[in-house]
Amino acid sequence: MPPAESNDVKIMNKSIVCEDSTLRGDITISQGCVIHPSASILAEAGPIILGENCIVEEYATIAYRLTEEQKRQKEEGNLEPCPPLVVGSNNVFEVGCIVEAQKIGDKNVFECKCYVGPEVVVTNGCVVGAAVSLKCKQVLPESTVIYGRDCQQREAIDKYAYQTLQIDFLRKVLPNYHHLRKPNQDPKRTRSVV
Amino acid sequence: MANFMQDSVVKYACSCGILNPISKLFFCRHCPKLRCGFCVCHEVDSNFCSNCLENIPSSEARNKKNCCANCFNCPCCHHTLSARATTVVVQKKPEEGAKDGDGAAGADAKPDPSKVITKKMYYLSCLACRWTSRDVGIPDQSVATGSWPDNECAYQTRFNALAEYYQAVVQQDKQERQEYLRRKTPKTHKFPSLTDRTGLTVSIIRRQMGWSDKNTQKAKPVNIAPAQNTEDVGQLPESIFTQKINLRNITTVKQRHNQPCEQPFTINKLYPQRRGLWIKRSLRCRECEHNVIKPEYHPTSVKYRIQLFASYHVPDVLLVKCDQPLKAGEPNAVILKLSNPTLHDMEINIVELPTEEDELKLIEEFKRACTLKDTSLTAATAMDSLKSLTGSPSLTGTASLTNTSLVRQTSILEEPRVVKLKVNSKLQPPEASFILNLRDDSREFDDEPQTTTKSEPEFIVSRKSNKVYLSLKFIPDADLKTGDDVYVGFNMLYTYVNTVTNTPEKKEPTTHVLNCRIYVQVGSIEA
Repeated sequence: MPPAESNDVKIMNKSIVCEDSTLRGDITISQGCVIHPSASILAEAGPIILGENCIVEEYATIAYRLTEEQKRQKEEGNLEPCPPLVVGSNNVFEVGCIVEAQKIGDKNVFECKCYVGPEVVVTNGCVVGAAVSLKCKQVLPESTVIYGRDCQQREAIDKYAYQTLQIDFLRKVLPNYHHLRKPNQDPKRTRSVV
Repeated sequence: MANFMQDSVVKYACSCGILNPISKLFFCRHCPKLRCGFCVCHEVDSNFCSNCLENIPSSEARNKKNCCANCFNCPCCHHTLSARATTVVVQKKPEEGAKDGDGAAGADAKPDPSKVITKKMYYLSCLACRWTSRDVGIPDQSVATGSWPDNECAYQTRFNALAEYYQAVVQQDKQERQEYLRRKTPKTHKFPSLTDRTGLTVSIIRRQMGWSDKNTQKAKPVNIAPAQNTEDVGQLPESIFTQKINLRNITTVKQRHNQPCEQPFTINKLYPQRRGLWIKRSLRCRECEHNVIKPEYHPTSVKYRIQLFASYHVPDVLLVKCDQPLKAGEPNAVILKLSNPTLHDMEINIVELPTEEDELKLIEEFKRACTLKDTSLTAATAMDSLKSLTGSPSLTGTASLTNTSLVRQTSILEEPRVVKLKVNSKLQPPEASFILNLRDDSREFDDEPQTTTKSEPEFIVSRKSNKVYLSLKFIPDADLKTGDDVYVGFNMLYTYVNTVTNTPEKKEPTTHVLNCRIYVQVGSIEA
């Protein structure tokens, strides 16, 4: 874990980030995201950029970890900075999921208690079902649904249902019961400064 | 309850000779014997849907092909589908009627609120695999249940014709058999019948009633076109050799079997399947025809009206531990925990298992008893079967009527068999019997510990309320090899106080000495 001083959390306005969440490393949270209490985002290897309107529920973990090779390199001190992990927009990370994927596109759902390993590339519109564990190196094609104990796959034909209602609801309710981290970035203002 | 879900090391031999853990056994209080699921009569009590918990009468269930009218299963992953509502914007102008398909987000632009009304539309969706009824192009419905289209398969008419034909065949077969039986049965019965006394025969009665002498409506099966074989099955398309198959579009074997009338090849032909009904069943002892298990009728209730589980009546034996590592031919001992589930003290005596000859002799004796019982009933059963064929008990004489209480159902007795499991150790049974105290739930709230006044036999390790820990000595056979499982078997004689009385004169509970054969898998021979 990097020490607390190295935390560099940028929170855009209009996003709800609970104070009880664990945010480590260089993290950018875009507009409209909802980070529940005791969710964790661990940017160990490099920065994490979370896209717009993502929901990260309780006990969900998004991690960008160093590989064994990189760890050794870091100890030797010749680790090159890793490219940022970009998480697309409209993703939902449900309760207790652990996502360490290499790349995450838009409109994906990671259901409860699922695990996505570091060698997985998640494209757009995918659903990783509850308790599904993906460990091997693979690329999930667009709108894949993985479900069940045997991790069966199918292609979702129906359109992705946006989580707008859920986000609006959370945006209303969460501030009533939790301390929030203040947004410290305003995209309009930064633009005007630049 | 440690052995409720997994296979237990302690098994009881049912009276039919099949080994079962105690959680799967029943105890018939009237016989009184152990019964297992194999040697009781299973009867369907009620049909119900496990999703909506609606009770469906059996005739209606048969009509609906044992499927629920309202609930559907996902054709993709076989979970229950749930109806989901969406608000759809409908233009007020009737000729425009165009519906906006996806209004889930409510993000549709509403040009003029006064001109627009919203309507709730429902579609089916699976919460496990996210299959929706829109995937296969089933239009959304305006009501959540009842209006979903049935997918008629292509062979429906052919199937109906075949079903009709074979029903007619069955009907004809039945009639012929009935005719044959009527010719076969002797005119004079062992028992006096009402028609004998009045000097009337069935045919005379029929004639008097103005019915025709015989069943004239002979069902003649309509001829059906037999299936024809064809040589030409068509060639595989060229693309199958050249193009990569997209496995995601092809159904799995399970999905096809779930939709048996079509067995679709591609996933775009998967339709929601009506959910199969569940049953509540009651179990009946085949020997005395008393109910062993009878559930409450209502589907939402999980209680029983009659529940004669063996674990309520038979002492429960648990393997605690083995004294020493198991070695072939060396004396050893197991600690067993016996608990008394009943409200009466039990006297328990542990003896050796009967030898195979004894077992065979017992079975032989039982069979003889059965045949005796059978011959006394055959006359009645013959009449009864006749009655069930004609479906009119009044026409077949009184002999069957007087006996209907005895032959509720002509149940076939399960022939007992020799227990398959062979014991491979020599038991050294304890020399004395002992008392297993009654179960008293209030005893555990007593403050003072019980003082044992009388001296215990030395094989009893300890005693606590209704439980006894005893040590049982045995010697594994000398010819066992390393890794072989060691089985210890014993015959447990226990006193059972039967509180139900079969006869009205005897009111006080009777005490029986019952026995059950118990087989314990102690472990495997150590290296």
